[in-house]
Amino acid sequence: MPRNEAEIADAVAGAMERGTAFEIISRGGKRNFGRPVAAGTILDVGALSGILKYEPEELVVSARAATPLAEIEAALAERRQMLGFAPADWSALFGGYAGGATLAGTVATNACGTRRVKAGAVRDHVIGCRFVNGSGEAIKAGGNVIKNVTGFDIPKLMCGAFGTLGVLTELTFRVVPKPARSATLALRNCAAEPGLRALRQAAGLPVEPTGLSYLPARALVASPAARAAGLASDDGAALIRVEGGTEALNEKLAILRRIFAAFDVATVEDDTALFREIGEGGVFVGRATDIWRLCVASSAAYAALQASKAQFWYADWAGGLLWLGLPADEETARRLRGVTAQLGGHATLMRGSAEARARLAVFEPEARARLPLTAAVKAAFDPQRLLNPGRMVEEL
Amino acid sequence: MLELLEPDQGLLARRKEIAAALAAIVPDGTISDEATLTAYDGDALTAYRQTPLVCVLPKTADEVAGVLRYAAREHIRIVPRGAGTSLSGGALPAADGILLGLARMNRILEVDYENRCAVVQPGVTNASVTRAVEKAGFYYAPDPSSQIACTIGGNVAENSGGIHCLKYGLTTQNLMGVELVLMNGERVRLGGKHAGDSGLDLLSVVCGSEGLLGVVTEATLRILPRAPATRTLLIAFDSVRDAGETVAAIIAAGIIPAALEFMDRACIATVEAFCAPGYPANAEAILIVEVDGMAVEAAEEARHIADIAKTLRASRVHECTSVEERARVWSGRKAAFGAMGRLKPDLLCMDGTIPRRALADVLEAIAALAEKYRLGCCNVFHAGDGNLHPLIVFDVMAPGELERAEEFGADILRLCVAKGGVLTGEHGVGVEKKALMGEMFSETDLRQQERLKCAFDGENLLNPGKVFPTLHACVERGHMRVHAGRMPFGNLPRM
Repeated sequence: MPRNEAEIADAVAGAMERGTAFEIISRGGKRNFGRPVAAGTILDVGALSGILKYEPEELVVSARAATPLAEIEAALAERRQMLGFAPADWSALFGGYAGGATLAGTVATNACGTRRVKAGAVRDHVIGCRFVNGSGEAIKAGGNVIKNVTGFDIPKLMCGAFGTLGVLTELTFRVVPKPARSATLALRNCAAEPGLRALRQAAGLPVEPTGLSYLPARALVASPAARAAGLASDDGAALIRVEGGTEALNEKLAILRRIFAAFDVATVEDDTALFREIGEGGVFVGRATDIWRLCVASSAAYAALQASKAQFWYADWAGGLLWLGLPADEETARRLRGVTAQLGGHATLMRGSAEARARLAVFEPEARARLPLTAAVKAAFDPQRLLNPGRMVEEL
Repeated sequence: MLELLEPDQGLLARRKEIAAALAAIVPDGTISDEATLTAYDGDALTAYRQTPLVCVLPKTADEVAGVLRYAAREHIRIVPRGAGTSLSGGALPAADGILLGLARMNRILEVDYENRCAVVQPGVTNASVTRAVEKAGFYYAPDPSSQIACTIGGNVAENSGGIHCLKYGLTTQNLMGVELVLMNGERVRLGGKHAGDSGLDLLSVVCGSEGLLGVVTEATLRILPRAPATRTLLIAFDSVRDAGETVAAIIAAGIIPAALEFMDRACIATVEAFCAPGYPANAEAILIVEVDGMAVEAAEEARHIADIAKTLRASRVHECTSVEERARVWSGRKAAFGAMGRLKPDLLCMDGTIPRRALADVLEAIAALAEKYRLGCCNVFHAGDGNLHPLIVFDVMAPGELERAEEFGADILRLCVAKGGVLTGEHGVGVEKKALMGEMFSETDLRQQERLKCAFDGENLLNPGKVFPTLHACVERGHMRVHAGRMPFGNLPRM
């Protein structure tokens, strides 16, 4: 188990000589997300942990790759700051223990939560990194300041690359002030179509919603957080979260109540657990179903949902993200990729058996013109395919 | 003086033939006569001029693809250009290359309020995106100071920022997708109206790639609802250090202003003489702070900021009371470049970013450097994100002044890196700063970036001579052996 970046570089360089590939893990909580890796050796970077530099007045934090997300979040919270993309800990979703997620795993899987609808994805908050490429070289990319266009923005490329381009060793994020308060207006007992339409309308309002989710009745029943919020017996609820100081928050809620006067509304004051659960796929924890995530333009959400034929599902990002409880089989893959072919977007098999993840395309297959480009980019970082080979695309 | 690439004499001799071939692809938009080509001989890095071999102005993505396919086959370099407002020489032509002007692709293809986005062609100007959506209460957030002229294609290439990017992000945070034509003529789509992308996030490296990876022929941009309330404060200080501390204290208080701009004494005086925005006389520094949001939110933040400034010894705190007054205060900031132009004929605008805490130290060091190089320098910058814009004024006709100005600029950027910052916050590396890349990155770091370039453009034909200090051939890609790549501590920056 390498103790630092130099030892990781040595390990990868040694693997080059032997031609042996690595599966990279830190805590391993999301090992079962993506295609099974065609590698016999595990490269455990878990020892590279700890915050390196946190400067609240600069709005920047740097940490070693395998630093637990919870440790970063606690340190930032002490200074009333946070990671703006609401990192989602998906460990429990894959059968691990909740709270196990690390920075590198979060970055590699692009695990962002409900705030994405306003604040962007993980990539919008990573400003620098260090990594070891597939040639055993330690590389620095990006910087320590928020505004930087010096060289290609490789730190962003690492987000959602599932460790196929480099072994992350250090990460630098911009951070944002924690809002003083948040509250959610729930549009209760509303069906999916009007609910999703209301979320879209709210997204275009200057109240700057930071959570726009729709949970149908079956998801509400399954959600402990919805129960705590008094929504468990609703026949579907559209949730609109706003943030700010007390006065601003009240003004925003008043605007929302006026605009959505036709709905049966309730205010949820303590909404932290609710949106954490939504970002983390909490209603799927302990449920045997496979999971697909379908990303479409918000306006296409309802059509996509109907075409998906999902019975157990919910929507986030104003309908731009659909969590679907559907089997990991050919028929479903064909159906969902038919939806994306027609409506745009992409479908990802989020959870399924290893056998299904090896057989099906876990990620949306790339267009013909783009695949050679992806292959060339992979080769530019990892020419011998030593790092998580096959995790995203079978041949790469 | 920077050295430009040595032109290929064989290509120079083939101008007529190449122009004819391009005219077959783009019938009414090929320029090959010297006189007209002069209009395309550079950008806003005015000290460098280079007439291109041929200029071609396509109107469709198909024509762009045709031009690139032809150029790849004939091994001719391509320099893409939007409006030519780059301050780093990003659009500086190659003498033996084709200048690919995208300005005629200037249509807004679609405004989609339901999905809060606009789909535009690359030659659409930045400001016209906001103009197209403002009636519905929306705007496009990135607002580089050249926004009336600069194009979206150039904004994507440079990952342009502006005054409001501390709160609303750079182009990369407001770009949802592009259609990109690769050097081989293939058209690929990255992102779109949906969130994110499947596969690798290639859009994130295309944005800010300075035209080295592909040619953007369409962009999907996020549009935002305009905040209901805006408040603007003009704050004067008797000391630069107090102004710097105020900036840090505002951020530390958990406020992210929509804009937080700084001007020093030299800049205030020049701007005041130019357009009289009403800045306090005798101030050592001023801050222009803008907050927006809900009415109560903006009012509360403005009050909080005024209190912070007063505590930190501001000599004057004034809140604009009318739209006209706010426009006047901003007019001075926006006219800063033009005003400096009156001092001397040439201007070098630096663009380093530093950690905010180093502000006062860096400004003092810049003042000392100005004396050393015997050149005027005014400081105007985006203080909220530490992005400096020292403006060096000089006369390119005066013997030695260009060299002194460039050395002065390079010293400022070295200083920025030494203080934990970077070479460029929003203007790009271009030709201007490529020789300084080694200050920030090791040879190994740069080779990795070059290999990424090679993945998109294996023959090094797209925007050659930009960003990288030395051009390596792409052939070594994928054939590196252990001993070649592995040096202990080879990644440490060499200061």
